[in-house]
Amino acid sequence: MTDTVTGVAPARTSGRRVADLLIEYNFIAIFLVVVAIAAILSPNFLTSTNIANLFQQAAVVGVVAVGMTFVILTGNIDLSVGSVVALCGMLVAVLLAGGMPIVPALAITILTGALAGAVIGLITALAEVPSFIVSLAGLVSFRGITYLLTDGVPVSGLPPSFGAISSTMVPVLPGLQVSSMGIIFVVLCIAAGALLRLTVFGESVYATGGNAEAARLSGLPTTRILVLVFTVSGVMSALAGILLTSRLRIGQPTAAQGLELDAIAAVVLGGTSLFGGRGGVLGTFFAVMLLQVLRNIFNLLGLGSFYQMTVTGLIIVAAILLNRFIDIRRGRA
Amino acid sequence: MTPDVLTIEGLSKRFPPSIIALDEANIAVRKGEVHCLLGANGAGKSTFLKLIAGALSPSAGKIQVDGTPVHFRAPAEAARAGISMIYQELDLVPQLTVAENLFLGHPPSRFGFLDKRSRRARAREALARVGASFTPEDRVGSLSIANQQLTAIARSLTREAKVIIMDEPSAALNETELKSVFRVIRELTAQGVAILYVSHRLGELREIGDRVTVLRGGRTIETFDVEGTPDSALVEAILGRDRGFVERRERPPVTGEVVLKVDRLTAANGLDIRDFELRRGEIAGLTGLNGSGRTSFLKALFGADAHEARMSLYGKPYKAKTPRDAIAAGLGLVPESRKTEGLILDAPIYRNATLPAMQGRFLARHGELKAKTVPVLRQLSTKYGSPEQKVIQLSGGNQQKVVLAKWIIKGARLLLLDEPSRGLDIGAKADLYRLVDELAADGAAVIVASSELEELYAACDTIWVFHEGRNIARFDPATTDQDTILKHQILGDHHHD
Repeated sequence: MTDTVTGVAPARTSGRRVADLLIEYNFIAIFLVVVAIAAILSPNFLTSTNIANLFQQAAVVGVVAVGMTFVILTGNIDLSVGSVVALCGMLVAVLLAGGMPIVPALAITILTGALAGAVIGLITALAEVPSFIVSLAGLVSFRGITYLLTDGVPVSGLPPSFGAISSTMVPVLPGLQVSSMGIIFVVLCIAAGALLRLTVFGESVYATGGNAEAARLSGLPTTRILVLVFTVSGVMSALAGILLTSRLRIGQPTAAQGLELDAIAAVVLGGTSLFGGRGGVLGTFFAVMLLQVLRNIFNLLGLGSFYQMTVTGLIIVAAILLNRFIDIRRGRA
Repeated sequence: MTPDVLTIEGLSKRFPPSIIALDEANIAVRKGEVHCLLGANGAGKSTFLKLIAGALSPSAGKIQVDGTPVHFRAPAEAARAGISMIYQELDLVPQLTVAENLFLGHPPSRFGFLDKRSRRARAREALARVGASFTPEDRVGSLSIANQQLTAIARSLTREAKVIIMDEPSAALNETELKSVFRVIRELTAQGVAILYVSHRLGELREIGDRVTVLRGGRTIETFDVEGTPDSALVEAILGRDRGFVERRERPPVTGEVVLKVDRLTAANGLDIRDFELRRGEIAGLTGLNGSGRTSFLKALFGADAHEARMSLYGKPYKAKTPRDAIAAGLGLVPESRKTEGLILDAPIYRNATLPAMQGRFLARHGELKAKTVPVLRQLSTKYGSPEQKVIQLSGGNQQKVVLAKWIIKGARLLLLDEPSRGLDIGAKADLYRLVDELAADGAAVIVASSELEELYAACDTIWVFHEGRNIARFDPATTDQDTILKHQILGDHHHD
C-alpha cells in the first residue's frame, strides 16, 4: 500500500473539539451574545411577559422559515410562501365565517397549502425550470387568488374558539407562560428536525441538495423528493396563515407581504447553504429568534423601525461573511 | 523549402511534485501545411496544445513564431501572436449571433462605440473564406455542429491566425460534415495558414495531413511525411516497443451462467451495441478511444441515459428506465467522475455508503447504517478516521472505495465500473483490482471500462474493443497480445474471436 494516510483525522484534543463545536453552532453563540447585550441594555428584556411575546411574534415567520429550510436544503428557493400564508389565512377565515366547523376548515386550508407547494414542486422538477421563477409566479398568482376570494375585503366575525388556537397561555416553567402559538412553533421545529435527521426522507433531502446527480445515480427518487419539500413548505405556510388569522381574529388579504424574504434571511442566517446540502432546522430556529430579539430590543429602547431595518441588514451580512470565512478556513471555498 | 511558422524546442511541463506531462517536446510547423499530431490517451497531447495556445505556461523550452521567441501568459497573447486554438467542445456562445461570436473579445469599434456595420462586413468576409452557407446574423446555437466548427475556424481568421490548432474536430462530425471541414482546411492552407490537426484516426490523417508528429509518454517520438509512411510504422511509433511486460493475474476460467445478454442496444448519440454477453464471475473490460461509447454503454445499462434495448438479465427481459430500476435489478454503477457523480462530498462516509441501501425504508437508523458501513470499509481496507468523517477529507483511492462500498452494502450482483482507477496511485489501483477480483470470485459479474489497456489486460477475463459507439471486437487477453488489441482500438478493424 502506497496510499497516503492524509485522510485520517488526527486525534482531537478537547479544546479543539470545543472550538469545532463553536464554529459548527456559531449561530447559537451569536444568539446568546445578542441576548446578553439586550439584557444589559433593557431591564425589561428578560421578563416573562417579554419572553412570551418573543415566541408569539416569531411564530408566523418561524413556521414559514422551517418549511423554507427543506426547500433551501435541496438547493431551491420558494418565493411563494408569503402569498400562500395570506391565501390560507384568508381561506380559513372565509370558511369559518361561512359557518364551517373548525376541524374541516383547518383540514381544507392545510390541503390547499400542500397543493400550492406541490404544484410549484412539480413544475420545478418535471420541467426542470429554476424554482426561483416558478415560485415567483406563485407569489403573484396566489396573492391574486387571495384578493379574488373576497374581492380584497378583509373577513371578520370568526368564532372565539378559533382565536384560542393561537392565544391559549401554556405554563412551561414556573412563572413563565408562553402562548400556544409559540408552543406550536417550537413543536413544529422539533418535528421538522426529527424528519430531517431521523428519516430516510431527510437523508434524501440532504443528498439531493448535496449532489443531485450522485443522488440520482444512487437510486434516489429525486423528482419525488423535490415535490415533497415544496409540499412541506406549502403545509408550513398554511399553518402559519392559520396562526396569523387566529391571532389577528380577522382574515387580511394584504397580510404577510414580503414574508418570504424574512424567512429566507432567517434560513440563510441560520447557516443553511443556498446551494443546498448543508444546514438544518436548529440554525433556522435560532436565526428566527435572533431577528425577533433584535426587533424587540429596538422597540424596548424606543428606536424606530428605520434603525431596525438598517441594523438587521448589517447583521445578516456579517453572519454570511462569517460563514463564508469559516468555509474558506475549512478549505471548502 | 517553405519556412517554419511555428518552431518548438525542448518544451516541458512538470506538475509538482512528480508528474512530467510533457518532456522536451519538439515540433516545426511549416507555413501552409497540415501537420497532424498523433498519440494514445495520456501521451501528452492536451498538455502540448495548451502550452502552445497559452492556456498553460511551460516549465522549460522555447516557442518561436515566425522566428521570434514568444512567452505566452494567457490565451489572448497567443491569439495576438497568430496562434488560434479550436477546442473540441467549441468555445462559442450559442445565444449570440455568428458575427458577435467572431469578434468576441475584440469587437470593431469607432470612437469607443461598437461598429456593427464593419463587424457585419468583416464577418461576411471571414465566412466567405470558409465557404459558409449561413449568415453573420444566424444564432450559433441554431447551427449544426459542422457549421459551428466553421464559425470557430472563421473566428481564427478574424484574428489573422497563422497557425490554427484543431483538437479532434472529427469527434462530433459525420462523414459529409467532415468533408466540408476538410475542404475549408485545404483552402486555408493554400492561403498560407498552417493547421495543427489532432486526431486519433489514421484514416483522416491520410486524407488531410502533410506531415505527422507522434507523441508518446510526453515525448515527441518522430515526425513523418504522411505520404510513404505505412500505418504499421505509425502504430509502432504510437505504441512503442519497449513497453513493460504486464503480467496477467491468474484467473480461474469463467464457467458461470450468462448474467447479462444484450442482443442490441442503441441510443441517439450513435451508440449501437450488439451481442454483448457477460457471465457470472466474469470480469469484462471495455477498451476504446475517448468517445468510443464505453461510458454511454454503462450509463444506458444503468438506466441513467435514454436508450432502446433488447436484452435480458438472468434470462428475464431487462429494461431500466431510471437508475432506480437498475438498482432494483441488482446493478451498481461506479461512475466516471466520483466527485460529481459518485459522492456527496460534504456528507459523512457512512451516509454516502448507505445511500442506495437505505432507500425504501422510513427511518434512517444512523447506528445501524454505521454498523453496516464499518465492516465493508474494513473489507476494502479503507483508511479513514471515523464513519462520520466527510468523504471530501479522504484521499482519491479511499473515496473510490466508499463509492464501491455503496454497491457492496446494497448487494449489487452486476457491477459497472467506469474508469475506476482514474486519479489513483499505483498502490490504490492494485488494491482496487484485488477487490474486483474478490467480488468476481464471490459470484458477481463485473464490467470495467478503462482507457488504461494495461490494467484491463492484467485484470479481465474478456476485453471488448469499442470503436465509434460499437463493440467491434472481443478478445481473450490470455491468448492475445496487447498490441493486437491496441491496433484494433486505433484502426477500428472489425474482428470477433
